[in-house]
Amino acid sequence: MTAPTAPSLPFPVFQVSAKVVRYLLYDINVVTWLRKNHNILGVLIGTLPQIPQQNVFLGLPLELQPEEARLLVEKGLAYLMNDLQWHEYQSASTTAQQKEAFKENIKQEGARIAKDFESNKKNRTQKALKQIQGKTTPTPTQRSSASPGPKKEEPTLEESPSSSVLTQATTPTPSPEPSQAFAPQPKPWTITPTTTYPPPSPPPHTSAPDLPTVNPASYALFKHLHNRGYFLAPGIRFGCQFSVYPGDPLRFHSHFLAMGADWDEEIDLLDLVGGGRLGTGVKKGWLIGGVERDGREGGGGGELGEGERKGTARVRTFCIEWGGM
Amino acid sequence: MTAVMPAPSALTALISSHSPPSTLSPHHYNLALQILHNLQYQHSWTSLHIHTHAPLTKTPLPRPLISGLPPKRIYVHPDQQIEELKAGVNDDEVDVEREWVLPTHVLEKWSLRKFAEVFDGVEEEPPDDEKGQGDGMQIRDEVKGRRRGGKRVLLATLGDDSTVVYYVVHDGIVKPRQN
Repeated sequence: MTAPTAPSLPFPVFQVSAKVVRYLLYDINVVTWLRKNHNILGVLIGTLPQIPQQNVFLGLPLELQPEEARLLVEKGLAYLMNDLQWHEYQSASTTAQQKEAFKENIKQEGARIAKDFESNKKNRTQKALKQIQGKTTPTPTQRSSASPGPKKEEPTLEESPSSSVLTQATTPTPSPEPSQAFAPQPKPWTITPTTTYPPPSPPPHTSAPDLPTVNPASYALFKHLHNRGYFLAPGIRFGCQFSVYPGDPLRFHSHFLAMGADWDEEIDLLDLVGGGRLGTGVKKGWLIGGVERDGREGGGGGELGEGERKGTARVRTFCIEWGGM
Repeated sequence: MTAVMPAPSALTALISSHSPPSTLSPHHYNLALQILHNLQYQHSWTSLHIHTHAPLTKTPLPRPLISGLPPKRIYVHPDQQIEELKAGVNDDEVDVEREWVLPTHVLEKWSLRKFAEVFDGVEEEPPDDEKGQGDGMQIRDEVKGRRRGGKRVLLATLGDDSTVVYYVVHDGIVKPRQN
């Protein structure tokens, strides 16, 4: 696969609507670029419109965790876009002419794919025929004695692959095989574009960015680990907030099951024991962490503290593993 | 008609033979004694010691800590394990390390602040009163080095049925063992 090209920054992160707080990305190039350069994974949630129960292999759109969306907006890489609003605005402002052009474009694309598919199919057939012929030619004496017919056929099959492959794609020059010259134009394929409207010009981007709301305790931990080059995937599968990978999850197993907490948040020891045991059972460590506070009753955990907003807050983490005794 | 009480258990005898120091709550101290008893007789730990003051600052600890020598190593950092495997070192050729043990009860609630206070009060390796009189085991040169993974404390959690479970708690991000 080719390396993803950098998208024009900042790119929009689509929030479904004002009420539905889910952050989506629709552009595969942005998705791969974020994964490669910014350790942002997200979760692919798109399934087949007709077969939604197929949930093994999912595709676009990509849903970002709120922490991921927040991080991207804070870094100035992305900005929030109300998807519903934008969609309505976009569909209202699109002229009939633009819609026609878009449809025509899709049709042409479908025709091109159909044509490519047909020519590939022919190539394969010819290759297969050639192979069969290669196997049968070592016994020419037997053939010629049977009937003179096959002898005439051989030269045409020999030359057809090389000549037809080159000409077929460009201009239909008279070819040795009559069937190819008069082949009907293949029926255009129906393609489903990943966006429902013409490729949008980047939506208007206001200077005051809306920040995705996050749990301050888990966001601080997310940021701390992300800064150290870890990849963080949602941790629901392991009963934690994040599963923490030392590299791309396609290459590495996760190291930690992470849980964010406020500095003075009470943690049941039984939860630590359970978490530590679960983590060790799957060769991971149970990691708890949060922002260090000085005062006895500092902050209270409701809003982000001064240091957290500036990114200077010190996050302490503890890893728990089974002692083996 | 005089009821004869059975002789107190070894654990009860141990607890009643010690009086808690004034700086600690009796509950915490007795908890430490029970964990110490468990370490000594169920897990064969040696040279156990209850610390009531932080070894670095000499200030009273909020709750007692135990230090001791396990019969075999409790924790081997994964990198060190790889080095030892490459060098062909057997487990019994490497000295055991003294460990900190933090006695707790399963019904307690802990917080990040409390853990941080515990770690801030201790150095990486507990002080050893009997240094120099080891049993002749030497760390082979190939794998000699500082303790790895930073500060660690063995979290000993006592259940209501006097079961004790032990968990290694590291200060900071330490990659897990691949056992």
